[in-house]
Amino acid sequence: MQDVYSYRESSVGFYAYCMQRDQIGRMRSYNLNIAGYNIRVESADDGPDLCPGQRFRRNITESAEYDVRIRVHHGCIRPDEDAERLFVAPYTVEVNGYKIRRSINFWSVYRQNGDMLLLTNFPEHPEKKATLRFSLGLREWDLYIENAGNETDPLDYPLDGLILYYLTAINADIMIHASGVFYNGKGYLFSGVSGKGKTTMAKLWDNIGAEVIHDDRLIIRCNDGLFRMHNTPIYRNDWPKSATLDRIFLLDHGDDNRMSPLREASSVSNVVANCIQHNYSQEMIARFLGSVSLMCSKVPVARLSFRPDRSIIEYILRND
Amino acid sequence: MADLKAVYSHSRNIVTRKTGNEYILVPVANNIADMNSVFTLNETGAFIWEHIDGERNTEDLIDCLVAEYEIGREEAESDVVSFLEDMNKYLIINI
Repeated sequence: MQDVYSYRESSVGFYAYCMQRDQIGRMRSYNLNIAGYNIRVESADDGPDLCPGQRFRRNITESAEYDVRIRVHHGCIRPDEDAERLFVAPYTVEVNGYKIRRSINFWSVYRQNGDMLLLTNFPEHPEKKATLRFSLGLREWDLYIENAGNETDPLDYPLDGLILYYLTAINADIMIHASGVFYNGKGYLFSGVSGKGKTTMAKLWDNIGAEVIHDDRLIIRCNDGLFRMHNTPIYRNDWPKSATLDRIFLLDHGDDNRMSPLREASSVSNVVANCIQHNYSQEMIARFLGSVSLMCSKVPVARLSFRPDRSIIEYILRND
Repeated sequence: MADLKAVYSHSRNIVTRKTGNEYILVPVANNIADMNSVFTLNETGAFIWEHIDGERNTEDLIDCLVAEYEIGREEAESDVVSFLEDMNKYLIINI
């Protein structure tokens, strides 16, 4: 049965009345809490109605506080000729383990007069394009969407992940390719690039009743010296989840279960290789390295080669 | 044959981080970090790195290593020269 959510007008000013298969409903503004970040999305006076995708429904909050407010407009803005282009990301898809490049310009980032401009296409909505004007120092951001129609999901892929990435950069947090599970009061993170076994590992733990925080991407935040891992809404039925971070494993294929502890510089250099980072200045890179170094000094890191069966769980718990 | 009078300095396109007695060196090209080409220095490498200052020449670095670790000059020269050659090859230090 299709889930039906209906929001009435509330003190924070959002309302919804339209039920659609993949969207929550139409509204003028809403607040999200993702990984502890409060994101307010608000249509400008002349902007489209907002229909957040179903995957965000459990992140919607009535909190009036926000870390960043994104005002959504119709239309587009383009970088000036003298804007500095910082990134161009191609669109690649993975088919049978092979990465195939579908287009050269998927999303790109420019720096212009102290602002950042993020231009993106949306693979699931080829007619739609967007430009996010933002700043790492200000919390008022503007999102311009071309061909949005009367209503649109303003945080369609890949914009949601990019916004979350820049929130991690602002807050000196870490976004990493990893699965994470919570079992018997401990949080275990398994990191690796595509094909290394993140999802396999998450399924193995799921089979013994562990809580899977996520199977692909995590945000790690530090609060009072304690590190926690958080999921982000990627799948339709994701609940917001987080857990303490007690061990970090860097995955590798192997014929046997083997754990090799990594220390100091070696742990940091191996972890950063799996982090998502688009830092564009030496200061940002140094800050990011500082965050990962601190994490690796508090949370043990080890390489882990494993057989994809239950024996790896017993091996980890035995050696914990 | 290594030039023992050569003076090296750190590249400006490197971001460093000291962790314990070791270093992480991240090459930066066009302000973008290459996290897949990160270098780590062990304690000896870190010691040599910290003494590269654009003023000391290779011979001075060898002297520093001999004094710090009480090792033979030949061994110290081999360590320093090989370290400098590697770092220079990857543009982490400049003459």
